[in-house]
Amino acid sequence: MYCSIIPPYILKRVAAQDAPQFSAAARAAKEALLHVKSVQAARAQPSPGLPPGVRHVKAGPPQRTVYDAQEAEILPGNVVRKEGEPATGDPAADEAYDGLGHTHRLYADVFGRNSIDAQGLPLDATVHFGKLYDNAFWDGSQMVFGDGDGEIFQRFTLSLSVIGHELAHGVTQHSAGLAYRNQAGAINESLSDVFGALVEQFVAQQTAAEASWLIGEGLFTSQVEGSALRSMKAPGTAYDDDVLGKDPQPDSMDSYVRTSADNGGVHINSGIPNRAFYLVASSLGGYAWDSPGRIWYDALTSGSLKADTTFRAFAKVTLASAEELFGAASKEHDAVKLAWETVKVKL
Amino acid sequence: MKITVQRSGGIAALTREWSVKAVTPADKSRWEPLIAACPWDAIPGRDEDGGGNQPDRFMYSIRAGQHRATLPERAVTGPWRILVDNTRAAAEAARNKDGRR
Repeated sequence: MYCSIIPPYILKRVAAQDAPQFSAAARAAKEALLHVKSVQAARAQPSPGLPPGVRHVKAGPPQRTVYDAQEAEILPGNVVRKEGEPATGDPAADEAYDGLGHTHRLYADVFGRNSIDAQGLPLDATVHFGKLYDNAFWDGSQMVFGDGDGEIFQRFTLSLSVIGHELAHGVTQHSAGLAYRNQAGAINESLSDVFGALVEQFVAQQTAAEASWLIGEGLFTSQVEGSALRSMKAPGTAYDDDVLGKDPQPDSMDSYVRTSADNGGVHINSGIPNRAFYLVASSLGGYAWDSPGRIWYDALTSGSLKADTTFRAFAKVTLASAEELFGAASKEHDAVKLAWETVKVKL
Repeated sequence: MKITVQRSGGIAALTREWSVKAVTPADKSRWEPLIAACPWDAIPGRDEDGGGNQPDRFMYSIRAGQHRATLPERAVTGPWRILVDNTRAAAEAARNKDGRR
């Protein structure tokens, strides 16, 4: 496998040198650029004989453990299912077990990542947390799922995108130190929605055009007027209910929400980068975990995201990733640029 | 005296609010000890240990008379938890009495 420590933009500058003293360097840079382009072309193509997006990288098998908190708020609870053990018959425990496996497989097969920390971290989840607890969260080391209050929410393991969302918080924690507040927090949330949606689409083998782009579809009870928690395709349209109100997510910077609630609106303004990702996937077509997923994953793991990363800074990192992976003249690069322009994030 | 608990955040980011009014002497004698038990002057800062929030956990804004506090879910323990749970239960009981969802 060819690896270059020199980024393509520097190679281009060296290759463009006309002065005689740079001729050898310019020739070498041109050769390296040709090689980079061939690698970029190869990266853009799925490997023959493998499902789309699957890469030749070996990650270890998942090491799953599901616990039952028995309606207490004490973690982790009692072990109910370990790796390789048969189904328990408890839907919440078995959905969590399966969801952990599906999520592990996306990262392993598509992104070549060995679990949440890229080093084979065991995957732990607790179900039946609290009484009528209507939430799911990542506590820094494991996933936690409530049963819902039965009035607004059903159990949170019902949605694979929610399971993928929670595990993605772990990936972000181990890949980028994004603060959980304001725009950095909204990027953190959006990354969880993006990879949560990708898990669901990967399992269903749905293209960008076929996917619902809904996060938490099926979580609401029949009493609620709404289809999901969020819509990446059309932020602000997931629900409109007389008790819950209307989905508050903005779909561009024109309607950015300034609030002190929700850690500065991290689940609200995430609609803006969510839509940017959808627009990239929609524009490129095919499977969203391919080129769009690669670009976002590369941005997340690039080491370029600071704790207080803004939407603008994140957009620039995704654009740099698109250029690095596919080239500055690629349709992928153009799609990323257009997506951020559409949601009014200045590059 | 009005006691209000606002819960924001969570993966669903649905803001819920529960309020009760302590008007009668009997109400006040029930709620004032719950309020007085909370350490209003020792609220953890955002970046202090225990003050930060974990992804997708709730944030609570609590108001009781002149008192104000904003706390991450994992800091809502002890007297805070008792005040929050009692406020929510009383508000929901009143709501159910009115036949509202």
